[in-house]
Amino acid sequence: MAVIGVGRFIQQRQDFEDGIARSYQVEIHARTQIAQGDNPHAARAAVAAQAGRRTELRDQISGDTRDTALLVAAGLIAGLTGALLLFSGLIASMRRPLEELVDAAGRLAGGDRSARVKVGGLSETATLGAAFNEMAGELELEASKRDQLDRLKDEFVLTASHELRSPLTSVQGFAELLMLERDSLTDKQVETVEIILDNCRHLARLLNDLLDLARSDAGRLAITPKPTAVAALIDDAVRTMRAQTETAHQTLTQRVEPGLPLVDVEADRIRQILVNLLTNAHEYSPKGASIEVTARPRGAEVEIAVTDDGPGIPESQLDLIFQRFTRGDAGLTQRVGGTGLGLAISKSLVELHGGTIEAESSLGVGSTFRFRLPAARMPAEAGSSATATEAS
Amino acid sequence: MAKVLVADDSETILLLMRTRLELAGHTVETAADGQEVTERMEAGDEPPDLLLLDAMMPRKSGLDALRELRAAGVDTPALIVSAHQDPTDADAPTDLEISGYVTKPIDFERLLGTVAELTRG
Repeated sequence: MAVIGVGRFIQQRQDFEDGIARSYQVEIHARTQIAQGDNPHAARAAVAAQAGRRTELRDQISGDTRDTALLVAAGLIAGLTGALLLFSGLIASMRRPLEELVDAAGRLAGGDRSARVKVGGLSETATLGAAFNEMAGELELEASKRDQLDRLKDEFVLTASHELRSPLTSVQGFAELLMLERDSLTDKQVETVEIILDNCRHLARLLNDLLDLARSDAGRLAITPKPTAVAALIDDAVRTMRAQTETAHQTLTQRVEPGLPLVDVEADRIRQILVNLLTNAHEYSPKGASIEVTARPRGAEVEIAVTDDGPGIPESQLDLIFQRFTRGDAGLTQRVGGTGLGLAISKSLVELHGGTIEAESSLGVGSTFRFRLPAARMPAEAGSSATATEAS
Repeated sequence: MAKVLVADDSETILLLMRTRLELAGHTVETAADGQEVTERMEAGDEPPDLLLLDAMMPRKSGLDALRELRAAGVDTPALIVSAHQDPTDADAPTDLEISGYVTKPIDFERLLGTVAELTRG
């Protein structure tokens, strides 16, 4: 429209210039007549008429110019509006699919493997969308293959650890039978049977650990927490370990702060963690070492720590120590019978109770493993709040 | 001393159980599966004081056998032997009046204590 306006403006201007020029020609002709005295009366009238004609032409051109200017302005506004609409439409047609892509990518990253986008819009965004869908499809396929493998692995471990229990029962059972008649055995035979029994216990522990890990992986490791006294748990674990630490001339002490709140835990599982930590302390520390179990309140939690004055753990190993099949370097003199699973299981179990576990160590000084467990909601708390109500 | 009926599909385990229980002064009868257990209980002229049943056996499991016996009104105390590490969380039935669980590998000191307790008097 603006182009039409500009064209018309040029045309009008041309017509106006032509009109004015013609008018001056006529006037010049008339003035020549006047000068020559050739019909001067009519010539004067013609001059006057041409002056009027030019005023008329000027009025007309200024009116036309205004109209044309309006037309050009209107054209420009319409053009700009059109361009704006076109542009925002273009942006919108790119933005919607992009927003959808961002959203779907977020869902995919968050674990929603079925996240896909609607393919459409501009060819570029459509290509992007199709590529995204293809990628998401492959991820979903990979993930389902991996899930299937994980399930197979868990089932295998569960079945294997069950199936191995029966032969283990026989080996251990008959070795124990032999030990019942140890009086009629030679020292060498007794020692041999003790080695068999030692290894049976180790195998049983390995099976239990593997089973726990498989259950944990399958999300089937469950606990039934009950309010439990920490001191009794520590007593139990220390009693279980006593014979082993005494054989190694290690001192095993416990220090439980008085007035400790009950913890909300499954007793067997916490005992398992404590025995794991104590077994590590015992096996990795030299003869004559000191091992201590402590417990103290920490806000709404109870902190239990197992400390030894053994060789310590290098910093490079400390970060990996809670990963499965990681075993600390026991040095050349120590014979360590661990499975490399104990700390991984302990971590799973502590976390299952809503607690945390950490390790601290300095080489040549010793190591401390401490874990925190949530205190049970005590009836004592309800009692104290009732007292407060009474007081007010 | 008590009369114990032990069922397990492993002959080795049966021999082991028999030896340990007899050493402790008990009388032992053995069965290879749950079917044999129910048959013997039906025909039995001298019923045992205690059942020691493996949870998983071919033909008829210890749990199935116990279910049949309980339905027939047999109230003999029963211990279930399980390869599960923690049988109480493995869909343990609550309606069979199970006196306890024994896990493999078997802690015989504990088992003999439980047997003595269940068959006392």
